[in-house]
Amino acid sequence: MEFVSDVLAWIADPAHWAGRDGIPIRILEHVQMSGVAVLLATLIALPAGLLVGHTGRGSLVVISIANVGRALPSIAILSLALIFTIRYVGLGFWPTVIALVFLAIPPIVSNTYVGIREVDRELVEAARGMGMREREIVTRVEIPIAMPVILAGLRTASVQVVATATLGAIVASGGLGRYLIDGIATRDDVRIFVGAFLVALLAIATEVFFTVLTRAVTSRGTARQGEIAPEHAAQAVRPGGL
Amino acid sequence: MRRFRAVALGASALVLLSACATGGGTQTSSSPGATTGATPGVSCEPATGESTENEITIGSAGFYEAQLMGEIYAQALEANGFTVTRELGIGPRPQTYEALRSGRVDLVPEYSGSLLSFLNLECAEEGAEAPTGDPDQTHAALTGRLEALNLAALAPAPAQDQNTFVVPPEVADEYGLETMSDVTEVAGELTWGLPPECADNPVCGPGLLEVYGIDISELDVEELAACDTPIAVALDEGQVDIGQLCSTQPDIQRFGLVVLEDDQQLQPAENIVPIVRADLLEANSELADTLDAVSAELTTEELLELGVRVAVDQEDIADVAADWLSEHGITE
Repeated sequence: MEFVSDVLAWIADPAHWAGRDGIPIRILEHVQMSGVAVLLATLIALPAGLLVGHTGRGSLVVISIANVGRALPSIAILSLALIFTIRYVGLGFWPTVIALVFLAIPPIVSNTYVGIREVDRELVEAARGMGMREREIVTRVEIPIAMPVILAGLRTASVQVVATATLGAIVASGGLGRYLIDGIATRDDVRIFVGAFLVALLAIATEVFFTVLTRAVTSRGTARQGEIAPEHAAQAVRPGGL
Repeated sequence: MRRFRAVALGASALVLLSACATGGGTQTSSSPGATTGATPGVSCEPATGESTENEITIGSAGFYEAQLMGEIYAQALEANGFTVTRELGIGPRPQTYEALRSGRVDLVPEYSGSLLSFLNLECAEEGAEAPTGDPDQTHAALTGRLEALNLAALAPAPAQDQNTFVVPPEVADEYGLETMSDVTEVAGELTWGLPPECADNPVCGPGLLEVYGIDISELDVEELAACDTPIAVALDEGQVDIGQLCSTQPDIQRFGLVVLEDDQQLQPAENIVPIVRADLLEANSELADTLDAVSAELTTEELLELGVRVAVDQEDIADVAADWLSEHGITE
């Protein structure tokens, strides 16, 4: 248990809380990279998922993207993307963020698509009958009902991004990955452990954040969500968990 | 110098497990005279094994260059009447060394400086010599170290796989750079790609200061591991002006990078050298001559060329080895 005391000593050391390589800065950098990546991915994936879910057209593309995203391990996606992105946007923050965007898109687009498809078609027809325009149907009927499933997609994407952003350190980015990659380079097991531990904490915090958010945003009428039709079950991430 | 591959996240979990298993924090070396090495599974006992005339088992580490060297030596011996069994691609150095030491294999191609450092770390000895930039001194120190272990180092090849600083041709032209000493004056004007451990590594940060008068704490630095793809791409894209690759890394040729001569010999010598069990060497009087003749033909530039054929052109290692041997008149 000498290792445990080494880890505690490392965390307790005030030098590790100050400066460019200190815990607060690294956490901040990590959150920034993850946040920007999820935001950009949402800006791309959410409208796409809404469009395909509402119209029903282009579902094959969505399903294919979701399946490829699920089949390839996130580490593989990121490593491949990084070698590509550093050629165009340099080192550090941006190639990592762009690579993470590739990672985040599949869960968001596929859950959005499934969430919208799952909305009772009779409700949609009723709304149309009332004279609602298509855009209003999406925003006032479909999205509120699909919200838990959509948020589940965002949650999955965010947790994956937080966990995988560590690899950005390979292309000179900041973030908690620096503790992992630098620790491996200097064979400092304590540093590696601290890095992994902090990333895990951050991932858990992200989960908690989305759980609270989902509860706050889901209207009471749809709170009984949990059932997804069998033909869509393969594509969606269940709201209750991964 | 062994290349460090960027390790996937999953591997850090394994590292954690192994850290707990060895009960330690950072790596320590064994105490002098110990019979087991610092790394679990490595023994410091002399090498044992069966030696039969004209029969040999050749092993190698996993990395493609190690396997290529193993294949070259294997084919050369086969052309000289040996029956060769191949166990190429065993794994990282601790496992490959232990395979040699335990007699599972009889011969392993190695890198003089790295093997010497490995033995000093694993099986510490009073007055052990560290590798230097001088190939002859390093080889002599290695030979001396191996004697007590019933192992022998054959003649080294001129080819070395060392860490080396490289620059894109535009940078070489602009600042007139040919050697590391040329860099001293203009170091502050360049963007450097340095490994994260550089400040702590004697042959990086401290060495650059002592030998070339370059203080890395005053430089514009991007942290990028040596010998890997991101630093090579960063050099090619001009995101860094100078970085560390391995001297036989195919990216040097692929991106047309200029190698800066280590004129003060800061980097430890890393000549390719076959390591063989001493008693097997005695049982096969022609083994040393045959392999020495092969090693003598291998230069760093040639090994780089072969590396390009294997790693970039994706050619079969056995074919590349066969071509090289016949080009140099060792086989038909």
